[in-house]
Amino acid sequence: MFNLHLSPEQLEIRDTVRDFVAREVKPVALAPARLEAFEKPLLAELLAQASRLGLRTLALSEAAGGAGADNLTCCIVTEELAVGDPDIAAVLAQTAMLGRLFERLMPLAQRNRFLPEFLGDDRYHLAFAEREPGSETALGAHYHRPAVMGLGFRTSAVRAGDKWIINGAKECVANAPVAKLFAVQASTAGGVSTLLVPRDTAGLSARAQEGHWFHGSYGEVAFENCRVPVDSLLGVEGRSPLAEGPDAKGRGSPQFQALNLGIGRAAYEAALAYAHLRVQGGRRIVEHQAIGAKLAGIAIRLEVARAAVWRAAWASDHPEAIADRSLPDLPLQAIARVYTAEAMLEVAKDAAECFGAMGVMRDMPLQKYVQDARVCLHSGEGSADAKLRLAEILAGYRRPAKTGT
Amino acid sequence: MDFSLNDEQREWQMKARKFAREEVRPISLQRDAIEDPRETFDWDIIRKGSKLGFRTLAVPKEWGGQGTDFVTQALVMTELAKADSAISKSFSQCWKWSHLIAASCSDEQKERFLRPFLADDTFVLGKGISEHSAGSDNRLPPADDPKAGLKLRAERRGDEWILNGEKAFIANGNIGKLFFIDARTDPNAPLKQGTTMFLVPRDTPGFRTGKVFNKSGWRFYQNGEMIFENARVPHANVVGEVNGAVRKSGGAGGDTTGGDLFGDLELAANALGICDDACEVALQHARSAKQGGKVLFEQQLIQLKLNRMHMLTEALRSFVMRIAWEHDRRIHSPNAGLAMNFSTDVVQEVAEIYMDVRGGAGCAMDAHADKLARDSIIWSHLAGDTVQRLKVAGRLRG
Repeated sequence: MFNLHLSPEQLEIRDTVRDFVAREVKPVALAPARLEAFEKPLLAELLAQASRLGLRTLALSEAAGGAGADNLTCCIVTEELAVGDPDIAAVLAQTAMLGRLFERLMPLAQRNRFLPEFLGDDRYHLAFAEREPGSETALGAHYHRPAVMGLGFRTSAVRAGDKWIINGAKECVANAPVAKLFAVQASTAGGVSTLLVPRDTAGLSARAQEGHWFHGSYGEVAFENCRVPVDSLLGVEGRSPLAEGPDAKGRGSPQFQALNLGIGRAAYEAALAYAHLRVQGGRRIVEHQAIGAKLAGIAIRLEVARAAVWRAAWASDHPEAIADRSLPDLPLQAIARVYTAEAMLEVAKDAAECFGAMGVMRDMPLQKYVQDARVCLHSGEGSADAKLRLAEILAGYRRPAKTGT
Repeated sequence: MDFSLNDEQREWQMKARKFAREEVRPISLQRDAIEDPRETFDWDIIRKGSKLGFRTLAVPKEWGGQGTDFVTQALVMTELAKADSAISKSFSQCWKWSHLIAASCSDEQKERFLRPFLADDTFVLGKGISEHSAGSDNRLPPADDPKAGLKLRAERRGDEWILNGEKAFIANGNIGKLFFIDARTDPNAPLKQGTTMFLVPRDTPGFRTGKVFNKSGWRFYQNGEMIFENARVPHANVVGEVNGAVRKSGGAGGDTTGGDLFGDLELAANALGICDDACEVALQHARSAKQGGKVLFEQQLIQLKLNRMHMLTEALRSFVMRIAWEHDRRIHSPNAGLAMNFSTDVVQEVAEIYMDVRGGAGCAMDAHADKLARDSIIWSHLAGDTVQRLKVAGRLRG
């Protein structure tokens, strides 16, 4: 049995988001003045509008008040949003993904404490604070070596009466500038623990990350004698349920690959439309072999990438498909990541080339698509590292799990 | 075979290296980071370079220039581009049109225009060919569409020509003091038979500049709009014959589109500078940056990346220097175009690998790696990569 039908609900939500992006997002996100500006503040109003469509709480269960979307549906939505604005797509994808994760890990008391406010506030986002300044996360030098990487966290949480006292600093935290609730990785007496810290907690400060080398809204978070109630632990003390990161071992939801795909698709749609309009050489440029072959190459890369992304998404929704030998026991999300990141940069560059000189002009979106695709390729883990990680998995190499110091 | 440089070539190379290191490099990232495209240009660096001879490098000695050969020009472009590709191009753009003046202008025109060019450190040159709806059509005029290509019109009125129309993306368009302008003088003839080249000084009545294009790469380098509304140009400023623009500079070894003899070498030599820059910094970084207590260089993947960057760069250097040598011997072949096409592939791959070496994990990117990647993309756009390749294929066909 092999079935690629989308459900009526999936088709409907795709159309809804596509329409929202075309009508509301693109005219704002791709306005020449915004494209030209170096600083592109997050489009907060559109983000709130998207929340009202249910996209912020997309993956929360219906019982908890969300849309109960699976990973594949989330990926479809993220691709559509990224066609208009990768920043909006990234913020919503992160919140939606963490929303479902938190719901699953929270006991009833925590759900009652946090979820109503999360559901009721269109500007309530979620963040996972893991990475620390100076921490080494690259696999490179540690490939196939037993060297223990990223042991523990310098951010610590110490129990004092009915409170946890957190001290430390985090960086490159997705959604930090807009999050109202953080899940924080910290060393505790028993190992690594995860603590839930609301933004307005005294002692927590967050600020936007310097530079532009990310999609969405990234920030640094500092904790200075930040006190949270003792029942703020997510999971068990010393045994963080997020120790492997939210998409552990390259088998998670490929939502950021879906975002990457959206960037490539935007470039493709722009190039295809322009190739029908622009006349050089006595005919529309789409009628020239050189441009036609370029567009075909773009479409091929997009379709292959989408197949890889959807397959990884479906696999993360159906882990039993690996057990029953329908799917290979491989980190399909990591595979989709490498292919998509490399292919979408080629897609964006080829699409931009169809525009001639206008392909590098900052008041046009093509140069942004190239830069956006490049950010996907060279941020986070990086393609070279992802390949090394994949190679370790193929070889059956087992790295010691992260533990506390 | 002899690959050695003579003393004069070596001297210019060293002079350029010193100027690049001491004056150009320190301002490179600063100018790139200026948001307003009108503000990225810096007259100070042009003045300093001009005093050292880098603005007038290609003007023949008998007219008071430096009269360097093509090998020297390639060496200097590469050295300057190693410090900043866009600044290098701002200088070499003047050489490109110096060559055109030398090859195509009458002595009377040289007297009128070369003298002030040589005397003024802020006198830069430009050439207006492209228009908003005429880019590729000027480079590869379609046989079945004779009216395709530039539309800017020039009509004779007594001793003057009246120019009407607009040029777009013109290098130095907003800052130049003298321009070659290609205009349609016979609207019913195909481009090659109906175009005339005019010398248009900046203060020509009826001429004004429009917007400055805001590019993602080569931000220092100015590309502007030029607007002609009944602009009056004396007949004495016609370069060569009326309706002979393409043939005229074609006779000088190229065509009117900038993809001429020097233009191909120029882009390839400039790309080589970016590659040299990327290789040098990547190697330094691999030797000094540590991961897991060991320098990056110890990793096989880093070594393979450095190998590929250097392999491509040295192949490009061989090609560039061979073309320069051939030009000095007046050997004209499709090689120059092929070298330029090759440089597009090389500069983009080298810049991408460099970014990969500098990248690593996290949510930040080295500003220098980011700049080189954006600059390298320019090669696909300002000259029209596919069109250039087709054009070179045309030369191969003969």
